[in-house]
Amino acid sequence: MSDIKSDNTQNMDSDQLEPNYWRSFEALYNDPTVIEAKGHEFKEGVTDDFSATGMSNLSRRKFLALLGASAAIAGTACTDYRDKGEIVPYNIKPEEITVGKPNFYASTCTACANACGILIKTREGRPIKVDGNPDHPVNKGKICAKGQANILNLYDPERLKTPLIGRNSSFNEVSWKDADSDIINALASANGKEIAIVTNPITSPTTSKVIEDFKSKYPATKVYSYSLFNDDIKNSAWQKTFGSGKYPLIKWNEAKVIVALESDFLGVDGNKIENSRLFAEGRDVETKSFNRLYCIDSTLTITGNNSDYRLRLRPEAQIEFVMSLMNELSSKGALNLSVNTSGYSLSGFATKYNLNKKVLDQLVKDLASNKGKAIVDAGISLSENVHVAVNLLNEALGNFTMFRSDSVVNIFAENSSVQEIDSLIQKINDGNVAAVIHFDCNPVYHLAQDFGYKKALSKAGLVVTLSERENETTFVSKYVLPINHNFESWGDAKTRTGVISLQQPVIAPLNSTRQKESILLTWINGKSDSFNETLYHEYLMKNWEVSIYQTLNSKLDFKRFWFGALHDGIVLTNDIPSISRSFNNAVTGLLSANVSEKGFAVIIKESYNVADGSFSHNGWMQELPHPVSKISWDNYAAVSEKTCKDLGVENFDMIEIKIGDRKLSLPVFMQAGTADNVVVIESGFGRQNSGTVANEVGFNSNLLMSKNSNLSQWIYSDATITKTGDSYKLASSQEHHAFDDPKVQDLHKSRHIIQEATVAAYVKNPHVIKEKHHEDQPSVYDPHPYNGLKWGMAIDLNKCTGCGDCVVACNVENNIPVVGKDQVLVSREMQWLRIDRYYSGTPEDPQVSMQPMLCQHCDQAPCENVCPVVATNHSPDGLNQMVYNRCVGTRYCSNNCPFKVRRFNFFNFRDHFRDSFQENPILALMHNPEVTVRSRGVMEKCTFCVQRISEGRADATHENRKLKGSDITTACQDSCGSNAIYFGDINDKESEFYKYRNHELGYYVLEELNVKPNVTYIAKLRNIHSEEV
Amino acid sequence: MKKSFLDYIFRNRLPVTLFVVVASFALTYYSSRAERDGIGYSPDQPIAYSHKIHAGDMKIDCQYCHVGVEKSRHAMVPAVATCMNCHTVARKDKPEIIKLAEYYRDRKPLQWKRIHKVPDYAYFNHSVHVNKGIDCTACHGEITQMEKVGQMNSFTMGSCLNCHRDAHAKFPELRDKIKPGPEYCSACHR
Repeated sequence: MSDIKSDNTQNMDSDQLEPNYWRSFEALYNDPTVIEAKGHEFKEGVTDDFSATGMSNLSRRKFLALLGASAAIAGTACTDYRDKGEIVPYNIKPEEITVGKPNFYASTCTACANACGILIKTREGRPIKVDGNPDHPVNKGKICAKGQANILNLYDPERLKTPLIGRNSSFNEVSWKDADSDIINALASANGKEIAIVTNPITSPTTSKVIEDFKSKYPATKVYSYSLFNDDIKNSAWQKTFGSGKYPLIKWNEAKVIVALESDFLGVDGNKIENSRLFAEGRDVETKSFNRLYCIDSTLTITGNNSDYRLRLRPEAQIEFVMSLMNELSSKGALNLSVNTSGYSLSGFATKYNLNKKVLDQLVKDLASNKGKAIVDAGISLSENVHVAVNLLNEALGNFTMFRSDSVVNIFAENSSVQEIDSLIQKINDGNVAAVIHFDCNPVYHLAQDFGYKKALSKAGLVVTLSERENETTFVSKYVLPINHNFESWGDAKTRTGVISLQQPVIAPLNSTRQKESILLTWINGKSDSFNETLYHEYLMKNWEVSIYQTLNSKLDFKRFWFGALHDGIVLTNDIPSISRSFNNAVTGLLSANVSEKGFAVIIKESYNVADGSFSHNGWMQELPHPVSKISWDNYAAVSEKTCKDLGVENFDMIEIKIGDRKLSLPVFMQAGTADNVVVIESGFGRQNSGTVANEVGFNSNLLMSKNSNLSQWIYSDATITKTGDSYKLASSQEHHAFDDPKVQDLHKSRHIIQEATVAAYVKNPHVIKEKHHEDQPSVYDPHPYNGLKWGMAIDLNKCTGCGDCVVACNVENNIPVVGKDQVLVSREMQWLRIDRYYSGTPEDPQVSMQPMLCQHCDQAPCENVCPVVATNHSPDGLNQMVYNRCVGTRYCSNNCPFKVRRFNFFNFRDHFRDSFQENPILALMHNPEVTVRSRGVMEKCTFCVQRISEGRADATHENRKLKGSDITTACQDSCGSNAIYFGDINDKESEFYKYRNHELGYYVLEELNVKPNVTYIAKLRNIHSEEV
Repeated sequence: MKKSFLDYIFRNRLPVTLFVVVASFALTYYSSRAERDGIGYSPDQPIAYSHKIHAGDMKIDCQYCHVGVEKSRHAMVPAVATCMNCHTVARKDKPEIIKLAEYYRDRKPLQWKRIHKVPDYAYFNHSVHVNKGIDCTACHGEITQMEKVGQMNSFTMGSCLNCHRDAHAKFPELRDKIKPGPEYCSACHR
């Protein structure tokens, strides 16, 4: 402090006027350390080097890392309550609904004109499955693939949702009211010009009454009906032969010998469900009585696949064949003919067409010795003279008892003739048609191009199309009116004498659609606001009360009768048709066989899957493999191997077919068993403006059709074929075996996958199949005792026609996705059940064996041993279980499965398509809620419908009884028209199933592997003579 | 010999880290077990319905409302109309009943919060259990005492199997009536 005192004057200089500010005493007294410090920018030590060692060990980074880690660790397994969503009960629960239990409603299928009776299974108001109505006398509880797949049509995201108004192919939404009033105005101001209603054949008595009412309101109305495939030729030939009536139904079950000429009665001709059942009844291993089926046709069909003897013949030669056959029979004294056939010779015919003479001899012998029990049936596509000749032959053979008198097909609007349709088009072109109403039909696609229908439509005053979805015809219409689906509609149908079936809606219309009859009724009322939801319902009830109920002499009052009829879905009537027949001798004048057969013959055949195109938007039907070629998502030109060689084309090469000036390019498929110089094409493909699924799939065979045809609408002679040089990819789910490679030739027989015998051999030695049985071999695994129920299946290959109805039934029941052509090409189809088709013999005359193949639920399943996560294992009731939530997708199981029945979800097939068609939420409504919807990366396979077993078990528990094997039916079994599939308890010795399980013809596929499958195949017996095997 | 850095990591750091991770996981896993399984989950419902009043005090049978329980795999939450069977006359002035009546009048769906849930791929069936004589309380707890329903038991696969394997010990009074439940996969998964 003394220093401070001594220097204190320096800062207190009196000369300074400004006050001298000081910050501290040190500064005031000019402490040298302060003066020294003034010279430094920073305080001492502040700028010393940074040293980490001097700091805390915890760096900032580490601190943050630890902070994060401890937060993460603290939260490792912490969780809060998860939100589990809501349960939303009904506000007012409909009385009939128990959540979780299905309801069944009887209705009528409108997938084709056969109008089978169906039961629609609904869950909480959503239709999810279709079964046949067991009370219906025609289909007896069975329904075909199209009827099953109809569910997808209901939920189709591309259904029309609102009325549309179009001009020059651009469409805008319009209200029903505006559309109706505009149309009513146009109809009312027709001024004598014609109003044309174009429709497919109408099977409903009440719909035809609506049309009658329409006619009386608008007298200028004329109705035109057409169908792409019909029995018209067959029926007109019958009329010409016998004076009246229609070609009757055949008692297939009573026939001993069936001769099918270009007839596919097990496939697309007639009601295949009924035909298959009756045909299969005639091939019963229990009674050992077998019919014998001869097929003389141009290519393999479902019927041909099931034939005992088959001959290839081009269609134009059929008339000569029938005449020669008659000549041979009469020359042997077996027939008494009213027509001179001396110009024909069967042996000459056989030489000309290179037919197997032994088979022909056998045919002649069989016909002669089974008179009255031998039926000859000609296909609908053959020309009239063949049908007349066949009628004559059946008459001479005394086969009239083979025709059913009790049932005749009834159709309310007969198909219009070519002249009538021509006159309609003429009138449109002349401007004499005020309105054309397409009543749920698609003539622009279906009618032959040389009618010029599409072009003519532009001259019609008003074109209105009632349709469920867009198609070629809606595209050129002014008004497109969306109509209800089958399952949203009221209706009735009469396709047989003695039975009328009723159709009831099971769901309210999903979109702003209307019942097609209601639309007409609104126009009949003449007021656009007269529509209401119950319009047609009331009309239908009224019509039944006034006309149908009166004729039935029912003891019930109408209300009770009506609800009873709705419950049953059918009403049996007692109208018995009077079949009078007198053979018209003049008809023999039609029998001339001078048909030229130049060039190639082209046959256009109804598609097994998509019919005339009415199912081409349906993914399930597109993906169902063709029953013969196993090709999906396409049509093709089926040509024989020899013809391919002659033309110099390979499989899948593109060819151009030319008939007159009509041309079509499509790929060649070498189809075994096809007659030489014949091209068979299926219809229903090559659609345009018909939605995502249908468009550009396959090739439009209708382009080859002509209104003027020599033989019939479906058979054309004198076609020319040229190779275009392009090639195409066809997606086939089963490769063709090489016929000439000794390593794989008849592999299915050498490996005993297919075991067959002849009826004669079986009668002689009932153990003919069992003798090949492999002895049980020891296994490294302990056998499971299976004391209680044990599930098993038996498939009677004598009855299975290989049609594929079961495949679609399985798809619907088990939520199986559609994968698309690109995935089928790489063998990723998802169907749990497939029909394997094997050829043996020569490519010219192959013998065909069909075999439904599904998970065999092996007792010692090879798939189970290799699963690293035990996602597939065995249940105590013998099921090979597949647990999706455990599966990690190694695919070892599939690799180790000898039957190749496991299917892997390579994608989430519901969202992997770029067009997002499958992602539409509406498609989720279609799913069976009792079956998990599988996602990407899991394996799946047939479960023996385990959801039905569980349901049966719950019902048994509810009723306090034991579950029996016969309580459960699988979806495939339910749909099988020929009753080829049996399912039940292997240990129940009393059951029907037990009989088939332990049948002497039963065998297991790949038995020698000792995997002990639980699907028994009943070996096919061929009703052929052993010397010709 | 100098210890390498790796040696240090493997001998000291790794075991300690693993121990800390495992221990913390185990600790938090068990401490939040109830939440994970949903035990104690008792959310507020759109209408403060009391099972205690209805099922407990008034002794209304469970099946008066849960009509599906004997027939179907779903017990079924009752429709609003079921409530209105009584409440068109009973306690019409109470605020919760006024709310309920509004739902009924407007035909508005009543969104109850879901409390008991098994995953979609597990197909639990109420009817087989109830028909075998197993009481609702075996899984749902003393529902008659609950003002607001909450989950009492775990609904995991382990809990299912617990009873299925040891049914006689769990239900001694049903010893003669029931067999142990199925343990194979497709009993519940399909």
